[in-house]
Amino acid sequence: MLAPVHRWIWSDTDRRIQKLLRFGETETDGGRDILRAAEVTSDPLLRRLYLEHALDEFRHGVLFRRRAAALLKVSHSHLDSGFHGDWLAPGGHGLDDLQVDGESDSDMLAFLHLSEKAAASRFTVYRDVMQHDLLTRAIFEEILHDETFHMGYTLTQLARVEPERHKRHLWRARLSRLWKAYLRLASGLAGIMGSFLLTIQYFFLLAPFAWLAKRAARRECSGWTPVSPGRSDSLDRQY
Amino acid sequence: MNILGISAHYHDSAAALVVDGVPVCAVQEERLSRHKGDATFPLLAVDSCLEQAGIEPEELDAVVFYERPMLKFDRILTCALRAFPQSWRAFPKAMKNSLGEKVWMRGIIASQLGVPGRKVLFTEHHQSHAAAAFLTAPTHRAAIMTADAVGEWVTLSVGDGERVQNGPTRIRSFREIRFPHSLGMLYSTFTAYLGFKVNEDEYKVMGLAAYGRPTLVDQVRKLIGRTPDGAFALDLNYFEFHTTAERSYSSRFVELFGPPRNPYEPIDLETAEGQRFADCAASVQRVLEDTLVEIARALHQETGLEDLCLGGGVALNGVANARLLAESGFERIFVPPAPGDAGCAIGAALYCDRIHFGNPDRDLPDHPFWGPSVDGSELARLAREDGHFAMELEERALIDQIANDLVAGHIVGWMEGALEFGPRALGHRSILAAPHTTEMRDRLNREIKYREAFRPFAPVVPSGAAALYFDIPPGGERLARFMSGVFSVRPAWRPRLEAVTHIDGTARVQVLEPAMAPRLHALLEAYGERTGIPVLLNTSFNLAGEPIVNREVEGYSTFLRCKIDVLVAGGTRVLKRTSATVKPEADKLKEEVA
Repeated sequence: MLAPVHRWIWSDTDRRIQKLLRFGETETDGGRDILRAAEVTSDPLLRRLYLEHALDEFRHGVLFRRRAAALLKVSHSHLDSGFHGDWLAPGGHGLDDLQVDGESDSDMLAFLHLSEKAAASRFTVYRDVMQHDLLTRAIFEEILHDETFHMGYTLTQLARVEPERHKRHLWRARLSRLWKAYLRLASGLAGIMGSFLLTIQYFFLLAPFAWLAKRAARRECSGWTPVSPGRSDSLDRQY
Repeated sequence: MNILGISAHYHDSAAALVVDGVPVCAVQEERLSRHKGDATFPLLAVDSCLEQAGIEPEELDAVVFYERPMLKFDRILTCALRAFPQSWRAFPKAMKNSLGEKVWMRGIIASQLGVPGRKVLFTEHHQSHAAAAFLTAPTHRAAIMTADAVGEWVTLSVGDGERVQNGPTRIRSFREIRFPHSLGMLYSTFTAYLGFKVNEDEYKVMGLAAYGRPTLVDQVRKLIGRTPDGAFALDLNYFEFHTTAERSYSSRFVELFGPPRNPYEPIDLETAEGQRFADCAASVQRVLEDTLVEIARALHQETGLEDLCLGGGVALNGVANARLLAESGFERIFVPPAPGDAGCAIGAALYCDRIHFGNPDRDLPDHPFWGPSVDGSELARLAREDGHFAMELEERALIDQIANDLVAGHIVGWMEGALEFGPRALGHRSILAAPHTTEMRDRLNREIKYREAFRPFAPVVPSGAAALYFDIPPGGERLARFMSGVFSVRPAWRPRLEAVTHIDGTARVQVLEPAMAPRLHALLEAYGERTGIPVLLNTSFNLAGEPIVNREVEGYSTFLRCKIDVLVAGGTRVLKRTSATVKPEADKLKEEVA
């Protein structure tokens, strides 16, 4: 149903570059989290599978980044003026909010299964709307192939690790994803409201203080500032 | 007396525990959380320190935070006001960032650790740097210089310190340079301009500088002028870091130096554009060095002291440190293994112990190994579970075997004892290789570290042999103890040390004394017996974008993901099954489980 929206999003080269870069970061961060899962699990088979999975995610990250770089080169986008990848994916971990060290194998597998499934359905849409860019489409195609394996092994292993209760784990993971989505939405909204209120305060309350601060700055001399003895003797103060 | 030092919330958070005046543990949060440059409150590091010392939080006499949060907030708010109305975008972000968590450190520490608020103390940021540099150095009287991007307000300070064995300690700051005039910010601005990550990739600028010529020094000097009193001041028309978090240089900066580098384009030094970037790096490096040397020379003349202790992130610049040693007049320069913000955790705790509580001075162990230890038997278990070849060997047999591996051209992941504190791998979490050929350097870059070709690798050499291969001036061995100085490789040896010789004939050498890392020293000797050159390439045991490995399992997973040939932890040596076996087995595993 949202195919026209996605078609519109991906039709613009600059947006495509940004999305590919963000995907690259997300895949790499997700790979790191899965690698961590490989390091903390005590199950040797899971360790090997997680490692393979992590390597796949790292490879996906490289594919996305390379494609974004290639597009950036031919598009002569204005993005390259002071452009950093950081703000495209601020603190973006693929498995955000998941504390890998504190998760049991079954919770981890259930979470991975659902997130791979969600990613696969999104990537299918992206692949389908990418008729105009066959190289990017091929990347999604390749990644989808891997996602199929990831979905399959996580479900199989969940059934092996928790033969009796694997469905319960999946439901719990679904609810947890829903809760985290709500928290993200709520904190996003709170962030917007906070920014709005602070911006209003900035313009309506701070102007006289800004004038004072600028006047004080003009009086400041550059160069060395002597340090008075005993200035910081007390360690109780926070200022 | 148990004192916990904490640094957090800017970059590279850490915790350090001082018991009865001596550090017993210090570790960066990133090494435990496995998120590079982790700046969050270092709860894992705190737990690790307490566990290592076997004490509970209620047994702590004080918890010291490495800076004064309200003073820092004062700077952030004042800068936003001074930049009014251009700072309107940055202001909400800065306020949410500060007021959300950072200014409430007393409450956060008290609640996270379960200690009363009165036990939570605060040092100044540059006090912590100064203490980390001076109180860990084997000197009793020294001048102290600290320089970084910014602490609360201070960006550079000079002073001196004196400590009397079993007696009182004194650290004084004479004067300081305040934000926004900052050598660290100047360097970081070029780091961003050259397409690298600020606060993380400054060392890449230093590596790139060797490929350029300082042809743009005059332009850089337009950005930073000297003041009549011998300090410096930035021309803020060229910068934006003080008004916005989004970009650190202004349009005038771009007019002066040309378009910035696209971070996703590799630097091609064969092109004019690539050479321009290298020249920019060389020019800012030259200006940084000149400025530091002049300030240090004045400090030497003022104090008449022989020793200088350097702290702050700028002290990670090994090229500048070597010039300081050569030209400032100081005979010895001490840089701690963690001169950056992580090291402030140990500095804050020691400052609190010696100055606040007035405890008598004690000499400290002169090594960087303050983190958790590895267990060779755990590595053997992991490797055997996965069908790799694991051997547990006696000490001498292990050394001989690894020396033979290195002679055969194998790349070795080397884990031993306690983890290093600080950004350098100094022989306990290292990747070791033969240092002789450019092929080895290229192989490491291509197959293991996945990093830019212009970045050099460092050598490690036993102290007794260092002077033969490297042109180390008097006092240089001290700088080289923690890889804090860059020195020339002797021309006669450059053809045989190609993998560790930078384009300008230098190397960031580590000079190893036997007492600091006896096993690595023995390995160097054994390698020297076989090849005639007791030098190894020593690079940090991590892959690009990841923190240095901590436990054996992290070394093991790194080993499996790249082309390291041999892995060592404790007395265990692990070899991979051949790739001819591993790949089909991985495919078979995928088929079976899917």
